[in-house]
Amino acid sequence: MFNWFTPKRKTWLFRVNPALKFIVFFAFLIITLVNQSLPFAISQAVLYGILFYVFSGYSLKKLSLLSIPLVISFLSTGLTMLLFGKGEAVLWQWGLFKISEESIQHALLLGSKSLSFGFVGFTFILTIQPVLFFYAMMQQFRLPSKYAYSFIAAFRLIPAVTEELQIRRNALKVRNIQFSKGVKGLYERLQSYTVPLFAQSIRRAQRIAVAMEAKQYQMGAARTYYYPTQYNTIDRVFLLVMICCLCSAFLLSVYR
Amino acid sequence: MNNISVTDLRLKFPGEDGLLFKDLSFSVRPGEKVLMLGPSGSGKSTLLQVLSGIIPNSIELPLKVKDIQLPDSWGFVFQDPDTQFCMTYVDEELAFVLENLQVPREEMTLRIEEVLKRVDLHVKDPHTPINEMSQGMKQRLALASVLLLEPDVLFLDEPSALLDPEGTQQIWTSIKEATADKTVIIVEHKIDLIADWVDRVVLFNDHGVMIADGSPAEIFANFQQELKRYGIWYPGVWEEYKTSKAFQSMTKNRQAVASQEKIQIQDFHGYRGQAEKISVKQATVQAGDWITIVGENGSGKSTLLLSLMQLLRTNGVYEVNGVPIIWKKKKRQLPKGLSLVFQNPELQFVTNSITEELTVSLHGMPKADAEHYAKELIRSFNLPYSVSRHPYQLSTGQKRRLSVATALTPHTDILLLDEPTFGQDARNTFAILEKLEQLRTEGMTILMVTHDTEIVVNFATAIWTVVDGVLHTANVAGGAKNVQLVHT
Repeated sequence: MFNWFTPKRKTWLFRVNPALKFIVFFAFLIITLVNQSLPFAISQAVLYGILFYVFSGYSLKKLSLLSIPLVISFLSTGLTMLLFGKGEAVLWQWGLFKISEESIQHALLLGSKSLSFGFVGFTFILTIQPVLFFYAMMQQFRLPSKYAYSFIAAFRLIPAVTEELQIRRNALKVRNIQFSKGVKGLYERLQSYTVPLFAQSIRRAQRIAVAMEAKQYQMGAARTYYYPTQYNTIDRVFLLVMICCLCSAFLLSVYR
Repeated sequence: MNNISVTDLRLKFPGEDGLLFKDLSFSVRPGEKVLMLGPSGSGKSTLLQVLSGIIPNSIELPLKVKDIQLPDSWGFVFQDPDTQFCMTYVDEELAFVLENLQVPREEMTLRIEEVLKRVDLHVKDPHTPINEMSQGMKQRLALASVLLLEPDVLFLDEPSALLDPEGTQQIWTSIKEATADKTVIIVEHKIDLIADWVDRVVLFNDHGVMIADGSPAEIFANFQQELKRYGIWYPGVWEEYKTSKAFQSMTKNRQAVASQEKIQIQDFHGYRGQAEKISVKQATVQAGDWITIVGENGSGKSTLLLSLMQLLRTNGVYEVNGVPIIWKKKKRQLPKGLSLVFQNPELQFVTNSITEELTVSLHGMPKADAEHYAKELIRSFNLPYSVSRHPYQLSTGQKRRLSVATALTPHTDILLLDEPTFGQDARNTFAILEKLEQLRTEGMTILMVTHDTEIVVNFATAIWTVVDGVLHTANVAGGAKNVQLVHT
């Protein structure tokens, strides 16, 4: 499953310090969230779209696959706003549905925002290595190592859990377990999967924690790093380019 | 280096009535190699954790001790290869230890290479995913990460319990080489490879009381009854079992149960996704056969069972009890009469009590009959009769026996088992084997994946060998004796 997340080529975005990338992209999301101007929202979506489609380094096939949820979220947020939004200048009305000039504006604004969120989120996930990200967070932003290693260890457990899920599915088939129909069946199904998987996972997590402490891991203790991360020229370039892009997106939207 | 010792240790598990240890005193001299033996639940692993300080530093348990001398530096290798690592790659895992020790980055690469050599773990690139290694390699990695701590004392908690014979051999070889000058305290059931190597054997009884402490020769000579009762794989346990009445009466008049074809296979292939993972040219199974499926790790033994059970996509000719089985993508019905027992019993339990567990698959049987049926199974599998007890609360051996029992519905006549004796102590292993042999004489057909050559030699009526996803059959008729001839 993790092999899927190998890029076709490693673009310059891969070389940027992942912690810095996180902060910058996080700032993008905040700006997207608070922005109320439609032109700026659209130009932002275009900017992040360029990042996603051109600089993530993934094949067009994978990128189009990832675009599906983005299009769905664009359409669903947009259409809801379009058909049910408030507005004075009504253009078309049928029963509960009402399209007005204001609702078109709002629909586009919300749609572009949801697109921006998707583009930024995906670009981040696609261009970092989780381990390096947490190493950088520890070194550049003083994230306490206990959180970093909790995430890293949890990440390592995902394949084990998916494998167990598969075994459980087979075991239930072999045991010829028939679930009831409807909501009750859904509840039964949920219970018969979650209980054993949780039991296994809790036990596993506890054992790993003990093993980590047995390897003399101490919370809060000073440590060295196998992957030293620092700021390089590429980070300065990244920061500069991102600021410039955002500014030009803003200016373009103001002086059309 | 100092002695490690505890004096008058008292310890209690929350929610349990009695004390696990009552005034236990124990000490180990520097450089000594000590093996702790005892039945499961006698507290050996707990004592190991107390001596290392894991209890109470990492695991909080109420304990009282008059005096305790912990080692200055120590390392701990645990039983389960899959729950010892927090990183994804070999080098990262070893670096984790070095980071904890605040070793400068420049020294790390060299020290990682060195320690990998020290435990005979030859990977092309240290940046190899841990998941791609065999269980035996993982345990050697666990040993390597512990050796980086430069420990005076090494605690080993059943490091080979979950390994196949090859992995077991490798881990003990590495341990012996790497720990010549260290104090080593071991808890283990499979002891034939270390019985001569340790200096001292300590024997515990069911109540956490030390009943013997002496040289290996002394203990193995004088305490055989106890070792047998506690299910320890002491040297010569199989030889002794083979002279036992139970085994003799089982194998004396062993013969085919009936000459009826149960399974017929021709040009059969099993797939995971698009990739072909197992292929069988031709094979037949007769009623009352006990077929052991052997082969290296990852050769496709479990895949074969899953394919026969129709849990994977298959094609080719495959008949069970004369009924052709054709793989369907939708509305799939598993072949009638076949049942599969997985390696992990817990993942197979579906209800909240033992009785329910045994009745849940009996669709269409009146309730009273079903309960009677369950009662019979509980009796014959020597399980505790308790209405409320959750299957998870059983002991390891009981869980395993229950998982085999759950596969037996009145319609089951072919039983597929994936390493049913894996990780079990000697007593449980023999109990399971005797139960299976009894089922066989009653007409059950058994196909079982195993690594244990003793089981193959002493119980199989035929051996199937899987090599690189291809089944080579070696059908042998006539029972245990002939099998031995073919096998050797």
